[in-house]
Amino acid sequence: MKRFTSFYVAALLLTVAFFTSNCKKANIVSATTDDVNIYDYLKQNGDQFSSLVKVIDKAGYNAFLNAYGTYTFFAPTNDAFSKYLSANGKSGVEQLTDAETKDILKFHLLEEEVISSAFTDGKLPAITMYGQYLTTGIENTDGASLYKINRQALLETPNLKMGNGIIQVVDNVLQPSKQTVAQIVEANPDLSIFAQAMKETGWYAKLNALPASLTSGWYTVIAESNEALKDAGFDNYAQFKARYNDTGDPTKLTDSLNLFVAYHILPDIKYLADVVMAGSHQTMAPLEVITNKVVNKEVLINDDNFNGVHEPGARVERLASDLSATNGVVHIAAAHFPMKQRSPFPVYWDVAMFPELMRLSNFYKKAEYYFQYGDGNAIQDIKWEKGPLRYQANKAGFNKDYLQLFFNASNGGSWYEFKTPLLVKGRYKVWICYRQEGSCTNLVQVSMNGTPLTSALIQFSVKNATVDIPRDAAQEALGWKSYQIPAAGSGAGRMVGIVDIATTGRQTLRLDLVSGTCSTNNLDMVHFIPVSMEQLWPRFGTTGDGQIIYQ
Amino acid sequence: MLHKRLIYILLLITATGFLGSCKKWMDLKPNDGIIKEDFWKTKEDVQAAVVGCYASLLGTPSGSETHSAAELFFLWGELRADMLATFLGTRDNEFEVINVNTTAANTITNWRPIYRTINYCNTVLEFAPNVRNLDNTLTQQQLDAWLAEAKTLRALMYFYLVRSFKEVPLKLKATTSDNEIVTIAKSTEEDIIKQILNDLEEAESKAVVTYGNNVTDRGRITKFTINALQADVLLWSGKPDEAIIAADKVIDSRRYGLVQGSLGGWFNSLYVVGNSAESIFELQFNVQKLNPFYSMFAVGNKRFVAAQKVMDAVYTTDASSDTTRDIRGDGASVQAATSTIWKYVGRNYDDLRAIDESYANWIFYRYADVLLMKAEALTLRANGNDLQNALEIVYNIRSRARALPATDEAPPPGDPYAISMFILNERSREFMFEGKRWYDLLRYARRNNVDILKDLVSTTVPANMVVSAQAKMDDPYSHFFPIYEYEIQTNKQLIQNPFYR
Repeated sequence: MKRFTSFYVAALLLTVAFFTSNCKKANIVSATTDDVNIYDYLKQNGDQFSSLVKVIDKAGYNAFLNAYGTYTFFAPTNDAFSKYLSANGKSGVEQLTDAETKDILKFHLLEEEVISSAFTDGKLPAITMYGQYLTTGIENTDGASLYKINRQALLETPNLKMGNGIIQVVDNVLQPSKQTVAQIVEANPDLSIFAQAMKETGWYAKLNALPASLTSGWYTVIAESNEALKDAGFDNYAQFKARYNDTGDPTKLTDSLNLFVAYHILPDIKYLADVVMAGSHQTMAPLEVITNKVVNKEVLINDDNFNGVHEPGARVERLASDLSATNGVVHIAAAHFPMKQRSPFPVYWDVAMFPELMRLSNFYKKAEYYFQYGDGNAIQDIKWEKGPLRYQANKAGFNKDYLQLFFNASNGGSWYEFKTPLLVKGRYKVWICYRQEGSCTNLVQVSMNGTPLTSALIQFSVKNATVDIPRDAAQEALGWKSYQIPAAGSGAGRMVGIVDIATTGRQTLRLDLVSGTCSTNNLDMVHFIPVSMEQLWPRFGTTGDGQIIYQ
Repeated sequence: MLHKRLIYILLLITATGFLGSCKKWMDLKPNDGIIKEDFWKTKEDVQAAVVGCYASLLGTPSGSETHSAAELFFLWGELRADMLATFLGTRDNEFEVINVNTTAANTITNWRPIYRTINYCNTVLEFAPNVRNLDNTLTQQQLDAWLAEAKTLRALMYFYLVRSFKEVPLKLKATTSDNEIVTIAKSTEEDIIKQILNDLEEAESKAVVTYGNNVTDRGRITKFTINALQADVLLWSGKPDEAIIAADKVIDSRRYGLVQGSLGGWFNSLYVVGNSAESIFELQFNVQKLNPFYSMFAVGNKRFVAAQKVMDAVYTTDASSDTTRDIRGDGASVQAATSTIWKYVGRNYDDLRAIDESYANWIFYRYADVLLMKAEALTLRANGNDLQNALEIVYNIRSRARALPATDEAPPPGDPYAISMFILNERSREFMFEGKRWYDLLRYARRNNVDILKDLVSTTVPANMVVSAQAKMDDPYSHFFPIYEYEIQTNKQLIQNPFYR
């Protein structure tokens, strides 16, 4: 018995010792974060935001501004509100109606977090809860550069991170635009001719409606100023109408005046910062695009090279543009840019001529070079599935070179995709010009803009059967031509189909392997020749000096 | 009974075993390190500490840091300039800086790695002098030479900081324990430059001329490192006359020369092997301590490639033969075929280094730099034959590099501005990716006008941010980084750069 007791004592001692060496108190965390939320922060900083807090309370938004979310709140300071109230003849926040306070707050609230590093020269990436976009920019006063929000307020303190979003402190109350794009154009006396055209063609009504949804019903108008039209020889609306109105009924969609106006409207909201991000934009004129470039910091519309001739573009008045409207944005062009009727011209495209290649002075026109797929798609205008793309120099191709496509050979993939040079809309015959080599058979399907061309598949191993000039016409009827000087059966042009180019611009040409595993697919040129034009000439020298021979 | 007592005792011992863990309660000294009281006894300790100052720049990021010092030197000198292009692995922080959208939360603005090296230098400066009282074999001359190294390295670090942040806290006392952490306010740019120049002047007469072997002469600070740095600082602070004097000290020493400009050979000598006859001061990496550049430039999802303009406009190409090329371009600074930044990761014209060979040095100063700094200063002084001499230097550098005729701007011989702009462009070719471009541009912009930077951003930021970025450049404070938010939070005396408030 005594023995047992001593064992119990010992066991007890052990247990106690064990527990004492292991005695920590767990800290139980009951909140996921101790960050304050937007509303609490504003309340805590009453010296700066007491007016804003009153507005929030009056609108009844205090609950949701303190609940979970990812908001961006442009918070006007007390000074901002006193300026706003006195400008509107009110003595205090109490005199605002509930609806007014709600509208004010909605225009300052985004449902996404946007920090200042995402600010651009144009609109914010997310829309306000009011339904209009806010714009950003930079204003420099006395040597200090500050963000300007919506051209109305300076950003005083950026990017205050709260539990449920971001606060951006602004020094003025932001005010939404009250005008539609149509009204903005109409209200500007410098745009009176354009406005008149807009009304007579019936576009005014369309541009005067509020957007149907987030994604439709938004417009961008690039209006031409009276000054610009005057420079182009139109002193008044009558002259302008006389020049363009060809059917007598401007409301007809096929009327030139109607098309002119439609050509100046983009079916989306695009601030200049958005315009400059893409090379061309679809207009409301069917299948017509405007192109744009930034040259010396100026945005130019339709500054293009057509068939080797440079056509200077129309400058957009940067400072006078980016006018926000309830349903879009208005820009002002400083020059006349009519829709142009362009006739298609032939494009003789040497595929082995792109900047990434020409930069390689050790290789271009000198030695072979492998572009590896693994280099992160090193070439901007050529994409392919996998494996290498081989540049071959000192070969019997135009400029003594061509590209070798490794269809299913040497780890090559099954497709290559090229961006073509600019093609004017129209109907073209597409000639794939290759240098025949070897005898193994590959069958390749050519597609333009996703549509397969159906006249022929390419067989890179097949020669042109004859290069006898008297028999050229007969060969052309079969879809063959000799494109090289001196002519050789292995320098073969194959007509793979007729393509309808719907919109002027750069197109996508794709080669898909149908069968075979050869590497000797020597693509030299692609000819796009309008169907009504001479198809067999000019021919292209293989001597390396870029010789082109016309008949 | 005796037996039973034995059991009790055994159990008690076991219990106490649980109570007390395996810590040495009585010993206050660490088992695996040296404490200050045991260090700073002999001259070997001092030497180790001085070498440690340099080694701290090689270090990998520690603690909450995300960048090593060498990486910062590259990022600070190149990100805001125009020679880099982004690639698959470019990080958000880096996009922010490139797009002129840096915020105080951006870790690239974390200056800690630089201040750590400054603190090492401060520690040497504070504790080394007393060692002479303890170790009779330490001569005053030797001690002074070591102190000169620490002072110069500190000055170099402050020069990086002042060019990147404009105003920073000037910390000249060592922090060796938590009790010594003090918060200090920013000093003005003028005060920092003054301190740098004072330190360099004091160090100049004490520093060694050579360590007796080539590698150490390039890897540690000599008198001529100090002169090169002086020239740079004086040029930055608009004192061309004095900059010329400092540069001439390096030139007249006749210890440095331009490495012959052969295709491949020049690249091999300067960057693959390193420590060339042209080099004045380098950060020396080695097999044990690799540089941070391999993952930045050489892997599949690299963080940067060379901008298109590097081959298209800066070096240009000549189609006439494959040996007519600028030796600094394809196969040296960049591999034109892939736009890979080649300087630190190439082994020869064709091949990359292996990942465990990535120990190309980081060059702080080399002879060509001193020559071109002198040329730039000459265009500012523009007395007598100055302009002619400046042009001579540029054409000397160009002919060594086999620069192509397309990049010869042929400025009018009497036009100092045109010549100085030619020098700026020549510097971009000569020091491509050596962390100098942004500081060059900023130096010129501060001297001439801000349009240089406005033109710069119009080529580097996305088209939809150009107008904003250009307007930001009108604010001179936007040319400098914000103070990292952690520093602002922990040091209440620091005032944020007004552009970033």
